[in-house]
Amino acid sequence: MSAEKAWDSDTVCRHQGRWIIAQLNIKEYAMYEPKEIFVNTSRCTACKTCEISCAVAHSRSGDLYGALSEKPAPKRRLYVEWVSPDENVPILCRHCEDAPCMHACISGAISRNKESVVITDSDKCIGCWTCVMVCPYGVIGRHLETHKSYRCDRCPDRETPACVSSCPTKALVYRTVETFSKDVRRDAASKILAGEGG
Amino acid sequence: MLLLKYLPAKGGKMKRDCPDYLIIGGSAAGMAAAQAIKEKDPKGIVTVLSEEPDRPYFRPLIPYVLMGRKKAESIELLGNGPYTSAGIEVRTVARVDQVDISGKSVNIKGNGRLSYGKLLFATGSRPNIPSGIEGIDANGVFALRKLSDARAMAQRAESTEHAVMLGGGLLNLKAAFALLELGIKVTLVVYSPEVLSQLMEPADAGLIRNALDKAELKIITGCSAKGIISDKNGVTGVFLDDGSEMSCQMVCIGKGTRPNIEFLSGSEIAIDKGIVVDKYTACNKPDIFAAGDVAVTFEPVTGDRIMTGLWTNAVEMGRCAGYNITGTKTAYSGTFGIMNATQVADEPFVSMGIVHTKDTAYEVHVSAAKSTYRKVVFSPDGERLVGVLFIGDITGAGMYRYVIRGNMQIGRIKSHIMNHTLHYGHFLKG
Repeated sequence: MSAEKAWDSDTVCRHQGRWIIAQLNIKEYAMYEPKEIFVNTSRCTACKTCEISCAVAHSRSGDLYGALSEKPAPKRRLYVEWVSPDENVPILCRHCEDAPCMHACISGAISRNKESVVITDSDKCIGCWTCVMVCPYGVIGRHLETHKSYRCDRCPDRETPACVSSCPTKALVYRTVETFSKDVRRDAASKILAGEGG
Repeated sequence: MLLLKYLPAKGGKMKRDCPDYLIIGGSAAGMAAAQAIKEKDPKGIVTVLSEEPDRPYFRPLIPYVLMGRKKAESIELLGNGPYTSAGIEVRTVARVDQVDISGKSVNIKGNGRLSYGKLLFATGSRPNIPSGIEGIDANGVFALRKLSDARAMAQRAESTEHAVMLGGGLLNLKAAFALLELGIKVTLVVYSPEVLSQLMEPADAGLIRNALDKAELKIITGCSAKGIISDKNGVTGVFLDDGSEMSCQMVCIGKGTRPNIEFLSGSEIAIDKGIVVDKYTACNKPDIFAAGDVAVTFEPVTGDRIMTGLWTNAVEMGRCAGYNITGTKTAYSGTFGIMNATQVADEPFVSMGIVHTKDTAYEVHVSAAKSTYRKVVFSPDGERLVGVLFIGDITGAGMYRYVIRGNMQIGRIKSHIMNHTLHYGHFLKG
């Protein structure tokens, strides 16, 4: 089947695990590949700047001093954990392809937006914690004051999520899978070359 | 003459009269399957038959409709959460009473036959109404299962001062809290020694029980109802097997569920309490599948055949059946007989896997504090996690589910499981 037949007008379809946006004229369709947050654990020093900037980005005031005095206190949505003996691992929502939280939700509060980000509508959330029960990454938080669950929303109002842009060591990067793997390959290649040279 | 072109071609069938995929049942399993089918076969014609008058809705939200916190329209399923696919035809008030397997058609009660290409049974379950209680047909006796029950209960609630709930399971507790919120006095009559006996042992239920007591829910344990008394206006009271009697204007029954399989009686579909399926959710006849509460599934740890009545399980199995019915072979990984998360009276809890350990050889670790209770259950050799019960603090519960379900050798992470310090980094770098 030709591409013209498969995508006619204004369709947004999932194809081979990627979102493809086809608009009006098929010839103009752009392959839309969402960016992901990648973690380079070897660069993480557990300074937790990402956690703080995440909480600030999700505060009402939007700045650190305002956020500190807010009640209920703004929450971070990623967690820098430590694995013995010396590994630091920032853990964050992967916005899973077949998101278990989204399918498990008993109130239809969790959906995927057109940027492929899994979002929780807190108006619809009833605080049953089913999402907490099924998330294999353990990254869905419970807001006890509001009785709602919360999670990474990839900072919809920012070009780059707050955690990534604040990370001083570039342990967090925001790329498409394609460019990230290209970078990893280049990095590996340069290491091999450097090794040979030395 | 002009009209002729709208008629089907000679000898051909109009496509909508013979959907490629026919799904009987428009709740969790049926709608999740419909959505999954549309993902794999966007052009396939999918028809869902639901016997209810309401369009598909999130069934677990009906207590919120009862208590008036949500409106019926706001709990509609299509268009919310992952249910975004267009082109799923849903027919309401369409109850299937017979299936012709060799002729590939079903009979819709009072509405003729409908042919199909492939068929999915997702007829779910209904409340189990015990037969030994006198006067149970009285007006004002409910089992909160459908949106129509919630509406009827809400109406009856207006003239109810005291409601008696028979059964101490989660569904009845949720109904009880909805009634409490409406300002009704509620008494829970539980045959077991403690509430939520399916999800935890009496010794584990202390925090939950305290929370229920604090919420002023009256609980009578070790007791069951013998009969219901009524007059022309409906229920006036309940008498119990200990000889006592209570006056009340409403009774709500929460005594488990039964699979809806009657429409298959006399058919060649294999039944063993529920509909028997293989690990690809297929029935014993070609092109026929089953999922959700009506299907018999298996427990991944013990391999036991089980049936569950949980929305989340039904969705998972329905999605799997949806893939299989389109020809994308997908093995269903089974589900825990016990799995639930919720919050009763401000006390969150998660219970999954094997949590009933009295007189067993399992290795059990319990840590109880003022506001939290944790019970972790390992296999007798201590090398695998088989169940957890968390009350109060349920942080990261999904990771424990992942460990139990994967039947993982826990090795070094065991201490983290016991101390509730487990995080995903342990799987990445452990």
